[in-house]
Amino acid sequence: MAIVKMNKLSLIGLESDKDAMIECLMKMGVVEITNLEQKIAEDQWADLVKRDGAEDEVACFDADITKVKSAIDYLQQYDKRKKGLFEPKKTITYDVYAEMIHNLDKTWEVAEQIGKYDEQLSALRAEENKLSNLTGTLEPWRSLTVPVDITSTQATMVALGVVPVLVDIDGLERELYEQVPESYMEAVNADKDQHYLSVIYYTSYEDKVMQVLKQSGFSRVAFKELQGTIQENITKAENRIKEIEAERSQIEKRIAGLTGEKDQLEILHDHLQVQKDRKKVLGNIAKTEKIFMLEGWLPAKNSEKVEKSMREQWDCVLDISAQDAEEEPPVLLENNAFVKPFELITELYSLPNPKGIDANPFMAPFYFVFFGLMISDAGYGLIMAILTGIIISKYKLQGLAEKLIKLLFLGGISTFIWGALFGGWFGNIVDAVTNGTYTIPPLWFNPLNDPMKLLLWSFIFGGVQLYVGMGIQAYKLIRDGKALDALFDVGFWYIFLTGLVLLFLGGTAATVGQYMALAGAGLLVITQGRSQKGIIKKFMMGILSLYNVTGFLSDVLSYSRLLALGLATGVIATVVNTMGTLFGFNVGGIIILIIVFIGGHAFNILINALGAYVHASRLQYVEFFGKFYEGGGKAFQPFKMNTKYIELKDKEAI
Amino acid sequence: MDWITNLFNGNTLALIGAALAVFLAGTGSAKGVGIVGEAAAGLVTEDPSKFGQALLLQALPGTQGIYGLLTAFVILNQIGVVGGPMKDLTTIQGFYVMASALPIAVVGYFSGIAQGRAAAAGVGIIAKRPEELAKGITFAAMVETYAVLALLASILMIFGINL
Repeated sequence: MAIVKMNKLSLIGLESDKDAMIECLMKMGVVEITNLEQKIAEDQWADLVKRDGAEDEVACFDADITKVKSAIDYLQQYDKRKKGLFEPKKTITYDVYAEMIHNLDKTWEVAEQIGKYDEQLSALRAEENKLSNLTGTLEPWRSLTVPVDITSTQATMVALGVVPVLVDIDGLERELYEQVPESYMEAVNADKDQHYLSVIYYTSYEDKVMQVLKQSGFSRVAFKELQGTIQENITKAENRIKEIEAERSQIEKRIAGLTGEKDQLEILHDHLQVQKDRKKVLGNIAKTEKIFMLEGWLPAKNSEKVEKSMREQWDCVLDISAQDAEEEPPVLLENNAFVKPFELITELYSLPNPKGIDANPFMAPFYFVFFGLMISDAGYGLIMAILTGIIISKYKLQGLAEKLIKLLFLGGISTFIWGALFGGWFGNIVDAVTNGTYTIPPLWFNPLNDPMKLLLWSFIFGGVQLYVGMGIQAYKLIRDGKALDALFDVGFWYIFLTGLVLLFLGGTAATVGQYMALAGAGLLVITQGRSQKGIIKKFMMGILSLYNVTGFLSDVLSYSRLLALGLATGVIATVVNTMGTLFGFNVGGIIILIIVFIGGHAFNILINALGAYVHASRLQYVEFFGKFYEGGGKAFQPFKMNTKYIELKDKEAI
Repeated sequence: MDWITNLFNGNTLALIGAALAVFLAGTGSAKGVGIVGEAAAGLVTEDPSKFGQALLLQALPGTQGIYGLLTAFVILNQIGVVGGPMKDLTTIQGFYVMASALPIAVVGYFSGIAQGRAAAAGVGIIAKRPEELAKGITFAAMVETYAVLALLASILMIFGINL
């Protein structure tokens, strides 16, 4: 129920046993191997050991993995088998796996084959692009009958070129014939940008012709590598594109024929991945000629098993000890099934500092209550809980996805409870459909009729959470031997704030509150400036510290969002119901009603679940965590079989 | 001068209030969602797999528009335009209703745009560090606080007016 206690492991073994020992550690999957690179750079170590490592092999594996991965991705497109949203990994026992990896040569060939097909496909694609670009440029010249490779005869020249669309072609032609009667100009084509011209003239008049044309902005176009007429070239290119398409579908068919190999490829991928990790970890350890040394972290509760397993199999020096004060172990959280999903919220913020406190057990009940309160519709809660419940029972989820779905499941339950308390069942659906004859009465009260009451309760919930947060801070101070700080910084604030709250209640409570507030304020003024030097500075800081009360006030007011978002869901649901029943209860009206209900309520659930998640998280991050939380922990990443597609069941795993 | 009388008719004023809530808050949201959409489209060109995360950020500034609609609906409900005969409001009642629409209308407009900016910056976070999405969402949610507070003020005002 908190941060798992970590032990430090250091292991010295024979170089000849290294691979087997590392494999064993990997199979057990509970040890995080720390990087010794910095340590062995220190003088006292540098002469004795050097860093192990196998970067070349790792790079080699990386290249192979990329190849296999792209083959898998290719086959993915052609895999016709249905895939669920949450496809669990295939589970394979280690023995089956060990046998399979002996027969992976053929699979490797498949991966290489697909790689070759990929190269062919991209070559074809490049050629196709080039050809379609070519036809694009040739297209305007299509009606030109002179072959493009003829640019001159004995006495004449042929010039192709374009002029801007603004040029008056008839005028240009007239001017050209006036200046150089021995020429011929033909407007081949025109589009919205330019005119396409073909001009034939005596070679000796070239300068004169060009002078006329240049005045109109003529620029030459040449097709250097082409032969024959434009029409012939276009046809040739189009035919080649058709051929390319045929070739491509041929290759794609061949790739599709390999989809049966996908499962094997996935095993190969994971096999390579595991081997790469085994080599990569060598970069973290130190060695001499005959021995190697590694250090790491492991959960204290696993220590005995690891120690026993290593000692039984090999001769080695193994030391597992509790952590030193100055070292920062990685953080692993352990919580019960209710709190576990809420770890997601803290993980997304920041893991707790290893010497801090795991906030999850304290945060979970508040998050649970707030999430539901911000949606507070029994119907929506049921839908969320049932949908996520089905996913949980049908699929074996892992990691973040598991926590998220379970969080939504719990949120659904909370939403249901609050909905029942407030009488919200898809807004006021029963009321709307029966035209007001029946209503489901709220078990507590309807916030739409008495929003002030819920506002007050929102502040009370907020106040409670803030008090809990301050309490945790006090606990932390006391634990670290700063009991006085706990009394000054938390205890006195408790007195002062509680007094202020009592003041608002009136009656005797107000009188008590008055004295408490005054006493609290006095104590705070005396103590809050204690870090300052000089009596005046101490006093000034003490007075100033009272200003922090505005911080508490704004924190509490921030919880008013509980009411606002809860009301929003209810009102939008009511809008949906009103729109749905607008058309009466005839056949057409009922069809519209069903469509509007399903669409409208689905939208409302989505947008409000997002809102509830965001705002419930914010209340934790800003208001609650702000009181005590220390983040910055590094996640515990044990050295284990890190597979993507298959899951290996192994008897040695812990 | 019939139109002046009509303009200062209580019901007209109340409806103008409802319209303001929808149109100002809605415009703010539309601008905000648009800003995030532009940023998100740029990211998705580079990495289409981040569409889901980007969409989550884009949805955030959309709430102001919903709050505006919600306020309008509560107003319409209170004055009987929806679900019953329309009540006759005095001019002063009309002004009351219009005033109560103003918080969400004005704050909705500006916070929608501001939240859009914050969320668009969050798109940068998922481009480089997709695992830190929650922090981007939190930054945008900080802006939304004020829209929520304005919504609360609007609704409390409307419920508080005696019509």
